Amino acid sequence: MPEVEIDWPWQYNFPPFYTLQQHPETRSKQVAAWKSLILNYCEKTKNYTIDVRDTNQCPLFNNSTINRKLEPDIIISILGELQRTGNAAPVDKAKNRWEIYWHTLEEWATIVYDFINERGMQNTVVTLYELTQGEDSIDTTFYGMNQDVLIKVLRVLEGDRKCELILEDDIQGAKFF
Amino acid sequence: MRRGIGVGAIKKEKLHQEKYRGKGNQIQENQLEQMSKQMEVFKTNLEDFATKHKNEIRKNPEFRKQFQEMCSSIGVDPLSSGKGFWSILGIGDFYYELAVQIVEVCLATTAKNGGLISLDELRTKLIKARGQSKSHQEISKDDLIRAAKKLRIFGSGFNVIPMGKDRYMVQSVPGELSMDHSIILQQAEKNTAHVSISYICKELNWENERCQKALEHMVDQGLAWIDSQDPQEIQYYFPSLYTACINSNA
Repeated sequence: MPEVEIDWPWQYNFPPFYTLQQHPETRSKQVAAWKSLILNYCEKTKNYTIDVRDTNQCPLFNNSTINRKLEPDIIISILGELQRTGNAAPVDKAKNRWEIYWHTLEEWATIVYDFINERGMQNTVVTLYELTQGEDSIDTTFYGMNQDVLIKVLRVLEGDRKCELILEDDIQGAKFF
Repeated sequence: MRRGIGVGAIKKEKLHQEKYRGKGNQIQENQLEQMSKQMEVFKTNLEDFATKHKNEIRKNPEFRKQFQEMCSSIGVDPLSSGKGFWSILGIGDFYYELAVQIVEVCLATTAKNGGLISLDELRTKLIKARGQSKSHQEISKDDLIRAAKKLRIFGSGFNVIPMGKDRYMVQSVPGELSMDHSIILQQAEKNTAHVSISYICKELNWENERCQKALEHMVDQGLAWIDSQDPQEIQYYFPSLYTACINSNA
Protein backbone atom coordinates (compact mmCIF):
# COMPACT_ATOMS: atom_id res chain seq x y z
CA MET A 1 0.00 0.00 0.00
CA PRO A 2 1.48 3.37 -0.96
CA GLU A 3 2.27 5.80 1.81
CA VAL A 4 -0.09 8.76 1.58
CA GLU A 5 -1.26 11.36 4.01
CA ILE A 6 -4.81 10.61 5.03
CA ASP A 7 -6.86 13.52 6.24
CA TRP A 8 -8.67 11.58 8.94
CA PRO A 9 -12.03 13.01 9.99
CA TRP A 10 -12.56 13.82 13.66
CA GLN A 11 -14.57 10.62 14.10
CA TYR A 12 -11.51 8.48 13.35
CA ASN A 13 -10.14 8.99 16.86
CA PHE A 14 -13.56 9.03 18.51
CA PRO A 15 -13.78 5.62 20.28
CA PRO A 16 -17.55 5.05 19.91
CA PHE A 17 -17.16 5.42 16.12
CA TYR A 18 -16.12 1.74 16.19
CA THR A 19 -19.23 0.52 18.03
CA LEU A 20 -22.39 0.34 15.94
CA GLN A 21 -24.75 2.87 17.52
CA GLN A 22 -28.24 1.69 18.44
CA HIS A 23 -29.99 5.05 18.34
CA PRO A 24 -31.34 5.32 14.76
CA GLU A 25 -30.35 8.94 14.08
CA THR A 26 -26.94 8.60 15.65
CA ARG A 27 -26.37 5.39 13.70
CA SER A 28 -27.26 6.96 10.37
CA LYS A 29 -24.75 9.74 11.05
CA GLN A 30 -22.18 7.14 11.97
CA VAL A 31 -22.79 5.03 8.86
CA ALA A 32 -22.71 8.09 6.62
CA ALA A 33 -19.36 9.09 8.13
CA TRP A 34 -17.97 5.59 7.60
CA LYS A 35 -19.16 5.51 4.00
CA SER A 36 -17.41 8.71 3.07
CA LEU A 37 -14.31 7.76 5.06
CA ILE A 38 -14.04 4.40 3.24
CA LEU A 39 -14.40 6.02 -0.17
CA ASN A 40 -11.93 8.80 0.64
CA TYR A 41 -9.42 6.38 2.06
CA CYS A 42 -9.61 4.00 -0.89
CA GLU A 43 -9.30 6.88 -3.33
CA LYS A 44 -6.25 8.31 -1.57
CA THR A 45 -4.53 4.94 -1.26
CA LYS A 46 -5.77 3.72 -4.65
CA ASN A 47 -7.24 0.67 -3.01
CA TYR A 48 -9.71 -0.90 -5.39
CA THR A 49 -10.45 -3.88 -3.19
CA ILE A 50 -11.11 -4.60 0.45
CA ASP A 51 -10.92 -8.05 1.94
CA VAL A 52 -12.98 -8.07 5.10
CA ARG A 53 -10.79 -10.86 6.52
CA ASP A 54 -7.66 -8.66 6.33
CA THR A 55 -9.05 -5.52 7.91
CA ASN A 56 -7.03 -6.01 11.09
CA GLN A 57 -3.95 -4.88 9.18
CA CYS A 58 -5.71 -1.91 7.62
CA PRO A 59 -5.42 1.38 9.52
CA LEU A 60 -8.78 2.35 8.07
CA PHE A 61 -10.63 -0.16 10.22
CA ASN A 62 -8.08 -0.70 12.95
CA ASN A 63 -7.03 2.40 14.85
CA SER A 64 -4.15 1.17 17.00
CA THR A 65 -3.67 4.60 18.57
CA ILE A 66 -6.93 4.37 20.46
CA ASN A 67 -7.09 0.57 20.35
CA ARG A 68 -10.41 0.39 18.54
CA LYS A 69 -11.42 -1.57 15.47
CA LEU A 70 -14.49 -2.05 13.36
CA GLU A 71 -15.76 -5.63 13.39
CA PRO A 72 -16.06 -7.46 10.02
CA ASP A 73 -19.84 -7.86 10.24
CA ILE A 74 -20.26 -4.11 10.68
CA ILE A 75 -17.84 -3.48 7.81
CA ILE A 76 -19.91 -5.79 5.60
CA SER A 77 -23.12 -3.96 6.46
CA ILE A 78 -21.53 -0.59 5.67
CA LEU A 79 -20.13 -1.94 2.39
CA GLY A 80 -23.65 -3.17 1.70
CA GLU A 81 -24.83 0.43 2.10
CA LEU A 82 -22.16 1.54 -0.37
CA GLN A 83 -23.35 -1.15 -2.77
CA ARG A 84 -26.80 0.45 -2.84
CA THR A 85 -25.35 3.61 -4.32
CA GLY A 86 -23.12 1.74 -6.76
CA ASN A 87 -19.97 2.53 -4.78
CA ALA A 88 -19.06 -1.06 -3.88
CA ALA A 89 -19.77 -4.62 -4.95
CA PRO A 90 -18.99 -7.98 -3.38
CA VAL A 91 -16.74 -10.20 -5.49
CA ASP A 92 -17.43 -13.53 -3.78
CA LYS A 93 -20.61 -15.05 -2.43
CA ALA A 94 -19.47 -14.97 1.17
CA LYS A 95 -19.08 -11.18 0.82
CA ASN A 96 -15.51 -11.32 2.05
CA ARG A 97 -13.93 -9.60 -0.91
CA TRP A 98 -15.26 -6.30 -2.17
CA GLU A 99 -14.50 -3.90 -4.94
CA ILE A 100 -14.71 -0.26 -3.99
CA TYR A 101 -15.80 2.38 -6.49
CA TRP A 102 -15.21 5.93 -5.24
CA HIS A 103 -16.46 6.77 -8.71
CA THR A 104 -19.34 4.54 -9.73
CA LEU A 105 -18.69 2.32 -12.76
CA GLU A 106 -20.79 4.70 -14.87
CA GLU A 107 -18.75 7.70 -13.71
CA TRP A 108 -15.51 5.85 -14.44
CA ALA A 109 -16.84 4.95 -17.89
CA THR A 110 -17.40 8.62 -18.68
CA ILE A 111 -13.94 9.53 -17.39
CA VAL A 112 -12.21 6.86 -19.48
CA TYR A 113 -14.25 7.65 -22.58
CA ASP A 114 -13.53 11.38 -22.29
CA PHE A 115 -9.83 10.56 -22.09
CA ILE A 116 -10.04 8.45 -25.26
CA ASN A 117 -11.87 11.25 -27.06
CA GLU A 118 -9.41 13.92 -25.98
CA ARG A 119 -6.53 11.83 -27.29
CA GLY A 120 -8.35 10.97 -30.50
CA MET A 121 -7.89 7.30 -29.78
CA GLN A 122 -11.17 6.13 -31.23
CA ASN A 123 -11.05 3.28 -33.68
CA THR A 124 -7.78 2.04 -32.33
CA VAL A 125 -7.17 -0.87 -30.07
CA VAL A 126 -5.83 0.16 -26.68
CA THR A 127 -4.55 -2.50 -24.35
CA LEU A 128 -5.67 -2.64 -20.76
CA TYR A 129 -2.04 -2.18 -19.77
CA GLU A 130 -1.72 0.99 -21.84
CA LEU A 131 -4.89 2.37 -20.35
CA THR A 132 -3.93 2.00 -16.73
CA GLN A 133 -0.13 1.82 -16.81
CA GLY A 134 0.79 3.65 -19.99
CA GLU A 135 2.70 6.90 -20.14
CA ASP A 136 -0.27 8.74 -21.58
CA SER A 137 -2.47 8.00 -18.63
CA ILE A 138 -0.01 8.82 -15.83
CA ASP A 139 -1.91 11.99 -15.03
CA THR A 140 -5.35 10.44 -15.16
CA THR A 141 -7.35 9.45 -12.11
CA PHE A 142 -7.66 5.90 -13.40
CA TYR A 143 -3.90 5.37 -13.61
CA GLY A 144 -3.12 2.12 -11.84
CA MET A 145 -6.71 0.93 -11.85
CA ASN A 146 -7.38 -2.61 -10.80
CA GLN A 147 -7.85 -4.71 -13.94
CA ASP A 148 -11.07 -6.39 -12.82
CA VAL A 149 -12.59 -3.00 -12.14
CA LEU A 150 -11.34 -1.69 -15.46
CA ILE A 151 -13.01 -4.52 -17.33
CA LYS A 152 -16.30 -3.74 -15.57
CA VAL A 153 -15.93 -0.10 -16.56
CA LEU A 154 -15.28 -1.08 -20.17
CA ARG A 155 -18.31 -3.38 -20.08
CA VAL A 156 -20.41 -0.33 -19.25
CA LEU A 157 -19.00 1.42 -22.32
CA GLU A 158 -19.57 -1.71 -24.36
CA GLY A 159 -23.21 -1.66 -23.28
CA ASP A 160 -23.42 1.89 -24.62
CA ARG A 161 -21.72 0.74 -27.86
CA LYS A 162 -18.79 2.99 -27.20
CA CYS A 163 -16.19 0.25 -27.20
CA GLU A 164 -15.63 -3.40 -27.83
CA LEU A 165 -13.72 -5.47 -25.34
CA ILE A 166 -11.05 -7.80 -26.62
CA LEU A 167 -10.08 -10.42 -24.09
CA GLU A 168 -7.93 -12.86 -25.98
CA ASP A 169 -4.95 -14.74 -24.65
CA ASP A 170 -2.49 -12.73 -26.66
CA ILE A 171 -4.18 -9.35 -26.47
CA GLN A 172 -6.32 -7.81 -23.78
CA GLY A 173 -7.72 -4.43 -24.59
CA ALA A 174 -10.57 -2.52 -26.12
CA LYS A 175 -11.42 -0.85 -29.34
CA PHE A 176 -13.19 2.44 -28.82
CA PHE A 177 -15.75 4.00 -31.12
CA MET B 1 -47.51 63.61 86.34
CA ARG B 2 -51.10 62.60 86.11
CA ARG B 3 -51.74 59.60 84.00
CA GLY B 4 -54.56 59.95 81.51
CA ILE B 5 -57.44 57.82 82.64
CA GLY B 6 -61.08 57.66 81.76
CA VAL B 7 -63.02 58.15 78.54
CA GLY B 8 -61.40 61.51 77.74
CA ALA B 9 -57.95 60.03 77.81
CA ILE B 10 -58.92 57.14 75.54
CA LYS B 11 -60.46 59.47 73.02
CA LYS B 12 -57.41 61.65 73.09
CA GLU B 13 -55.16 58.64 72.55
CA LYS B 14 -57.23 57.56 69.56
CA LEU B 15 -57.04 61.00 68.07
CA HIS B 16 -53.27 60.94 68.36
CA GLN B 17 -53.08 57.58 66.67
CA GLU B 18 -55.21 58.75 63.80
CA LYS B 19 -53.07 61.80 63.37
CA TYR B 20 -49.97 59.65 63.32
CA ARG B 21 -51.48 57.33 60.77
CA GLY B 22 -52.50 60.27 58.61
CA LYS B 23 -49.04 61.71 58.78
CA GLY B 24 -47.53 58.33 58.05
CA ASN B 25 -49.65 57.90 54.96
CA GLN B 26 -48.77 61.37 53.83
CA ILE B 27 -45.07 60.66 54.20
CA GLN B 28 -45.43 57.42 52.34
CA GLU B 29 -47.29 59.08 49.53
CA ASN B 30 -44.68 61.78 49.34
CA GLN B 31 -41.95 59.21 49.16
CA LEU B 32 -43.76 57.24 46.48
CA GLU B 33 -44.34 60.37 44.50
CA GLN B 34 -40.70 61.29 44.83
CA MET B 35 -39.62 57.84 43.88
CA SER B 36 -41.84 57.85 40.81
CA LYS B 37 -40.43 61.23 39.90
CA GLN B 38 -36.93 59.91 40.34
CA MET B 39 -37.72 56.88 38.26
CA GLU B 40 -39.19 59.07 35.58
CA VAL B 41 -36.03 61.18 35.62
CA PHE B 42 -33.89 58.06 35.60
CA LYS B 43 -35.81 56.66 32.68
CA THR B 44 -35.50 59.88 30.75
CA ASN B 45 -31.82 60.00 31.53
CA LEU B 46 -31.46 56.39 30.52
CA GLU B 47 -33.16 57.17 27.23
CA ASP B 48 -30.91 60.18 26.73
CA PHE B 49 -27.96 58.08 27.65
CA ALA B 50 -29.01 55.33 25.28
CA THR B 51 -29.42 57.73 22.39
CA LYS B 52 -26.15 59.42 23.09
CA HIS B 53 -24.21 56.20 23.45
CA LYS B 54 -26.09 54.23 20.86
CA ASN B 55 -22.95 53.36 18.95
CA GLU B 56 -21.04 52.31 22.01
CA ILE B 57 -23.89 50.10 23.12
CA ARG B 58 -23.83 48.48 19.74
CA LYS B 59 -20.09 48.05 19.60
CA ASN B 60 -18.89 47.40 23.12
CA PRO B 61 -20.14 44.17 24.68
CA GLU B 62 -19.16 45.15 28.23
CA PHE B 63 -20.96 48.47 27.85
CA ARG B 64 -23.95 46.64 26.44
CA LYS B 65 -24.10 44.26 29.38
CA GLN B 66 -24.06 47.04 31.93
CA PHE B 67 -26.65 48.96 29.98
CA GLN B 68 -28.87 45.88 29.97
CA GLU B 69 -28.47 45.62 33.72
CA MET B 70 -29.43 49.26 34.21
CA CYS B 71 -32.49 48.74 32.08
CA SER B 72 -33.65 45.66 33.91
CA SER B 73 -33.27 47.43 37.25
CA ILE B 74 -36.12 49.74 36.26
CA GLY B 75 -38.12 47.15 34.41
CA VAL B 76 -37.33 48.17 30.85
CA ASP B 77 -36.46 45.40 28.42
CA PRO B 78 -34.98 46.96 25.31
CA LEU B 79 -35.01 43.53 23.69
CA SER B 80 -38.74 43.12 23.79
CA SER B 81 -39.47 46.72 22.92
CA GLY B 82 -39.97 46.59 19.21
CA LYS B 83 -42.02 49.76 19.25
CA GLY B 84 -41.68 53.18 20.75
CA PHE B 85 -38.55 54.83 21.93
CA TRP B 86 -36.40 51.74 22.39
CA SER B 87 -36.89 50.58 18.85
CA ILE B 88 -34.91 53.49 17.45
CA LEU B 89 -31.91 52.10 19.25
CA GLY B 90 -32.12 48.93 17.23
CA ILE B 91 -30.95 46.99 20.24
CA GLY B 92 -33.81 44.57 19.81
CA ASP B 93 -32.82 44.09 16.20
CA PHE B 94 -29.27 43.33 17.24
CA TYR B 95 -30.45 40.50 19.45
CA TYR B 96 -32.97 39.23 16.94
CA GLU B 97 -30.21 39.04 14.38
CA LEU B 98 -28.04 37.17 16.86
CA ALA B 99 -30.87 34.78 17.67
CA VAL B 100 -31.31 33.95 14.00
CA GLN B 101 -27.58 33.33 13.66
CA ILE B 102 -27.62 31.14 16.76
CA VAL B 103 -30.33 29.01 15.17
CA GLU B 104 -28.28 28.77 11.99
CA VAL B 105 -25.12 27.63 13.77
CA CYS B 106 -27.07 25.15 15.88
CA LEU B 107 -28.76 23.65 12.83
CA ALA B 108 -25.49 23.42 10.94
CA THR B 109 -23.77 21.54 13.75
CA THR B 110 -26.66 19.29 14.82
CA ALA B 111 -25.42 16.55 12.51
CA LYS B 112 -22.26 16.11 14.51
CA ASN B 113 -23.19 17.10 18.03
CA GLY B 114 -26.80 15.92 18.22
CA GLY B 115 -28.07 19.40 18.97
CA LEU B 116 -25.96 20.25 21.96
CA ILE B 117 -23.22 22.83 21.68
CA SER B 118 -21.03 24.65 24.15
CA LEU B 119 -21.48 28.38 24.26
CA ASP B 120 -17.79 28.83 23.44
CA GLU B 121 -18.02 26.77 20.27
CA LEU B 122 -21.26 28.51 19.33
CA ARG B 123 -19.59 31.88 19.77
CA THR B 124 -16.53 30.94 17.70
CA LYS B 125 -18.65 29.55 14.86
CA LEU B 126 -21.11 32.43 14.97
CA ILE B 127 -18.41 35.09 14.84
CA LYS B 128 -16.82 33.25 11.92
CA ALA B 129 -20.17 33.08 10.15
CA ARG B 130 -20.85 36.80 10.65
CA GLY B 131 -17.76 37.46 8.62
CA GLN B 132 -15.29 40.28 8.51
CA SER B 133 -17.69 43.02 7.49
CA LYS B 134 -19.22 43.10 10.94
CA SER B 135 -16.05 42.46 12.87
CA HIS B 136 -16.35 45.83 14.57
CA GLN B 137 -19.31 44.49 16.48
CA GLU B 138 -17.93 42.24 19.14
CA ILE B 139 -20.21 39.52 20.44
CA SER B 140 -19.91 38.49 24.07
CA LYS B 141 -21.16 35.35 25.74
CA ASP B 142 -23.62 37.53 27.62
CA ASP B 143 -25.10 38.73 24.33
CA LEU B 144 -25.49 35.15 23.17
CA ILE B 145 -27.20 34.03 26.35
CA ARG B 146 -29.64 36.94 26.15
CA ALA B 147 -30.42 36.20 22.53
CA ALA B 148 -30.67 32.43 23.09
CA LYS B 149 -33.04 32.93 25.98
CA LYS B 150 -35.33 34.90 23.69
CA LEU B 151 -35.59 31.79 21.56
CA ARG B 152 -37.51 30.08 24.32
CA ILE B 153 -40.68 31.67 23.04
CA PHE B 154 -40.58 29.03 20.32
CA GLY B 155 -41.17 26.36 22.96
CA SER B 156 -38.85 23.85 24.50
CA GLY B 157 -36.70 23.66 21.39
CA PHE B 158 -34.05 25.99 22.72
CA ASN B 159 -32.46 25.82 26.11
CA VAL B 160 -29.49 27.36 27.81
CA ILE B 161 -28.01 24.88 30.24
CA PRO B 162 -25.75 26.28 32.98
CA MET B 163 -22.67 24.14 33.48
CA GLY B 164 -21.30 26.04 36.43
CA LYS B 165 -18.61 28.72 36.57
CA ASP B 166 -19.46 30.83 33.51
CA ARG B 167 -19.85 27.73 31.35
CA TYR B 168 -22.99 27.09 29.33
CA MET B 169 -24.32 24.72 26.73
CA VAL B 170 -27.07 25.50 24.25
CA GLN B 171 -29.50 22.73 23.43
CA SER B 172 -31.27 23.13 20.12
CA VAL B 173 -33.42 20.03 19.91
CA PRO B 174 -36.65 19.44 21.79
CA GLY B 175 -36.31 17.15 24.75
CA GLU B 176 -36.04 17.93 28.38
CA LEU B 177 -32.68 17.76 30.05
CA SER B 178 -32.93 17.52 33.81
CA MET B 179 -30.48 18.56 36.46
CA ASP B 180 -29.04 15.03 36.43
CA HIS B 181 -28.23 15.34 32.75
CA SER B 182 -26.44 18.63 33.05
CA ILE B 183 -24.45 17.28 35.98
CA ILE B 184 -23.41 14.33 33.82
CA LEU B 185 -22.36 16.74 31.08
CA GLN B 186 -20.23 18.59 33.59
CA GLN B 187 -18.58 15.33 34.62
CA ALA B 188 -17.95 14.38 31.00
CA GLU B 189 -16.49 17.79 30.28
CA LYS B 190 -13.70 17.31 32.79
CA ASN B 191 -13.10 13.71 31.71
CA THR B 192 -12.29 14.20 27.98
CA ALA B 193 -15.89 13.98 26.83
CA HIS B 194 -16.80 10.58 28.25
CA VAL B 195 -18.16 8.89 31.36
CA SER B 196 -19.16 5.41 32.46
CA ILE B 197 -21.77 4.26 34.92
CA SER B 198 -19.25 3.36 37.60
CA TYR B 199 -17.37 6.64 37.03
CA ILE B 200 -20.52 8.66 37.65
CA CYS B 201 -21.60 6.53 40.59
CA LYS B 202 -18.21 7.03 42.19
CA GLU B 203 -17.86 10.75 41.45
CA LEU B 204 -21.39 11.73 42.42
CA ASN B 205 -22.31 9.02 44.87
CA TRP B 206 -25.35 8.10 42.82
CA GLU B 207 -27.32 4.88 42.73
CA ASN B 208 -26.49 2.68 39.76
CA GLU B 209 -30.04 2.89 38.45
CA ARG B 210 -30.25 6.66 38.57
CA CYS B 211 -27.05 6.91 36.60
CA GLN B 212 -28.05 4.33 34.02
CA LYS B 213 -31.42 5.96 33.47
CA ALA B 214 -29.90 9.38 32.93
CA LEU B 215 -27.24 8.08 30.52
CA GLU B 216 -29.73 6.03 28.52
CA HIS B 217 -31.92 9.08 28.17
CA MET B 218 -29.02 11.00 26.68
CA VAL B 219 -28.31 8.17 24.24
CA ASP B 220 -32.00 8.24 23.24
CA GLN B 221 -31.73 11.97 22.64
CA GLY B 222 -28.83 11.41 20.28
CA LEU B 223 -26.51 13.35 22.60
CA ALA B 224 -24.31 10.46 23.68
CA TRP B 225 -22.54 7.73 21.72
CA ILE B 226 -21.81 4.28 23.15
CA ASP B 227 -18.34 2.75 23.09
CA SER B 228 -18.41 -0.94 23.96
CA GLN B 229 -14.75 -1.66 23.20
CA ASP B 230 -13.37 -0.28 26.42
CA PRO B 231 -11.75 -3.16 28.34
CA GLN B 232 -13.45 -2.19 31.60
CA GLU B 233 -17.01 -1.19 30.81
CA ILE B 234 -19.28 0.67 28.41
CA GLN B 235 -18.28 4.30 27.93
CA TYR B 236 -20.64 7.10 27.00
CA TYR B 237 -19.15 9.78 24.75
CA PHE B 238 -20.47 13.27 24.05
CA PRO B 239 -19.44 14.63 20.64
CA SER B 240 -20.56 18.11 21.75
CA LEU B 241 -17.72 18.07 24.29
CA TYR B 242 -15.17 16.22 22.17
CA THR B 243 -12.40 18.63 21.19
CA ALA B 244 -11.74 17.25 17.71
CA CYS B 245 -15.44 17.40 16.93
CA ILE B 246 -15.71 20.96 18.22
CA ASN B 247 -12.78 22.04 16.07
CA SER B 248 -13.95 20.33 12.91
CA ASN B 249 -15.81 22.32 10.32
CA ALA B 250 -17.70 19.38 8.95
